[in-house]
Amino acid sequence: MNHPSQKLVVDDVRLGHWSSRTEAFSLACDGLSFEIAENEFVAIVGPSGCGKTTFLSALAGLVPVASGRLELTGAPIQGPSPDRSLVFQQASLFPWRTVAANIEFGLKAQQRLDERGRARVAELVELVGLAGKEKAYPRELSGGMSQRVNLARALATDPDLLLLDEPFSALDAQTREVMQEELTRIWQVDGAGRGKTAVFVTHDVPEAVFLADRVVVFSSGPAHLVEVVDVDLPRPRDAAVKRSPEFQEISDYILGLVMSQTQPGRRASDHGSNATVVG
Amino acid sequence: MAATQLSSDRVRPPVRVARAGRRRASGRRLNLVLGIVGLAVVLAAWQLCASTGLVDPNFSSSPAGAFAALVDAVGSGTIWSPLGSTLSIVALGMAISVVVGIPLGLLIGRNKYLYGLTDPVISIMYSVPYVVFLPMLIFWFGIGMNARLVIVVWSAMFPLLINVIAGTRNLEPAYGQVSRVYCASRLYTLRAVEFPATLPYILAGVRQAVGRALIGAIVAELFMGSSGLGYQVQLQTSNFEMDDAMASIAVIAVVAIALTRGVGYLERRFTFWSATA
Repeated sequence: MNHPSQKLVVDDVRLGHWSSRTEAFSLACDGLSFEIAENEFVAIVGPSGCGKTTFLSALAGLVPVASGRLELTGAPIQGPSPDRSLVFQQASLFPWRTVAANIEFGLKAQQRLDERGRARVAELVELVGLAGKEKAYPRELSGGMSQRVNLARALATDPDLLLLDEPFSALDAQTREVMQEELTRIWQVDGAGRGKTAVFVTHDVPEAVFLADRVVVFSSGPAHLVEVVDVDLPRPRDAAVKRSPEFQEISDYILGLVMSQTQPGRRASDHGSNATVVG
Repeated sequence: MAATQLSSDRVRPPVRVARAGRRRASGRRLNLVLGIVGLAVVLAAWQLCASTGLVDPNFSSSPAGAFAALVDAVGSGTIWSPLGSTLSIVALGMAISVVVGIPLGLLIGRNKYLYGLTDPVISIMYSVPYVVFLPMLIFWFGIGMNARLVIVVWSAMFPLLINVIAGTRNLEPAYGQVSRVYCASRLYTLRAVEFPATLPYILAGVRQAVGRALIGAIVAELFMGSSGLGYQVQLQTSNFEMDDAMASIAVIAVVAIALTRGVGYLERRFTFWSATA
């Protein structure tokens, strides 16, 4: 039934959480269905607060699925598992551990820090551009460097599915550009060849187009699927891609989709006058 | 201050750190010098008042007299027994407080029912000056070693408990998420995440507790002691040996500073990574 190359199956998924204050179930995502292929880099965009992060948390196993099917390589996602890693929005490094010790955390927690694990950590330090900083503590790092550690920590456990939750949203514009290119480079070196499938959540449309093979557009909350847009830009990509007309075209199209989701009267809507579609 | 450095995603040049370190060191030296000058001014004023007869040295003692008494007490060895007595009761009281207080605090902080149940009691016990219970404690425990130990533990336990509980409750939720995502076991999370994350609070609690334990010990000795520095001060004051009493007080001051500085060293050594340290 499933296409064999489909890595992740999302079938009519509904997510939410019980609010202890109102004692009601508040819906974050509803009726989501799409599939992600092996080795694919998929970005999810949508208006802020639409439930993107909740969806990613469900993929990580931190939020239970209320109904529907969420399957990774044929097995339902029922909780956190070593085959998935999450790059957190805030770096969330342990300040008492050095850079190297932070990257090792997952391997150590999963009792996999053997010779190979150590070699893997050393390789990642090199790959994410932190050579010489192994013994530094997080408070000595800039925001961009912290996110490099965050990324390396996620890659260290060699996950099947790499989840990224707006990892560059707290960075300044230049650092964000640098990190986007870095992520593409790292993923092209470390991801695709090794079967790493990635899901990247962001509200930054050009970022999504630059990074992803396909962009999934969510509606405003509770999120349902608006459209899945293919990004037919050649790889390897570099910053120059962002100036190409194809890139502009795809970005504008997706931006239009996202904008049409911004409801009138909503707070934090900076294009209120353009908002026409309700619900 | 370092905003431009942070934003450029570049390695912060080590020169900056060294310069900041040097600036901090020179600041510390300045403070030390100023502190010594301030102390010298107070002592000089005191000496002046006593020497000129502005105050009666028989009542007020004088820095010179107190210093002579201190040299004498150290030389003849009469200071060691009370010092040892006070230090041992503080050490024993702290040992009990740490062994009981830290696990108890971790437990209370982790359990919202236990926290709800104990929070008012602990707050009251922390806020009410324990000295008011002293007469009652004498009824209950007599005036022996046990009673003094109870007071030391009483005074040290609550600041420690309050800090450990606060530390456990203020645990950064993101740390727990990282732990869960990477499938860390309960035990590993406790050892490698929760304990180090709480350590700054624990050590801050120990620092406060040590200060309060010493006060508790001295107060207990003042009122119901038969040994110790507090008892010594009380005895010497009653005998009008003001110089000796002042010398004993100077020893108490040294002990107090040494204890809090000692814990301060531990804090810098083990929680240097913390933003508050």
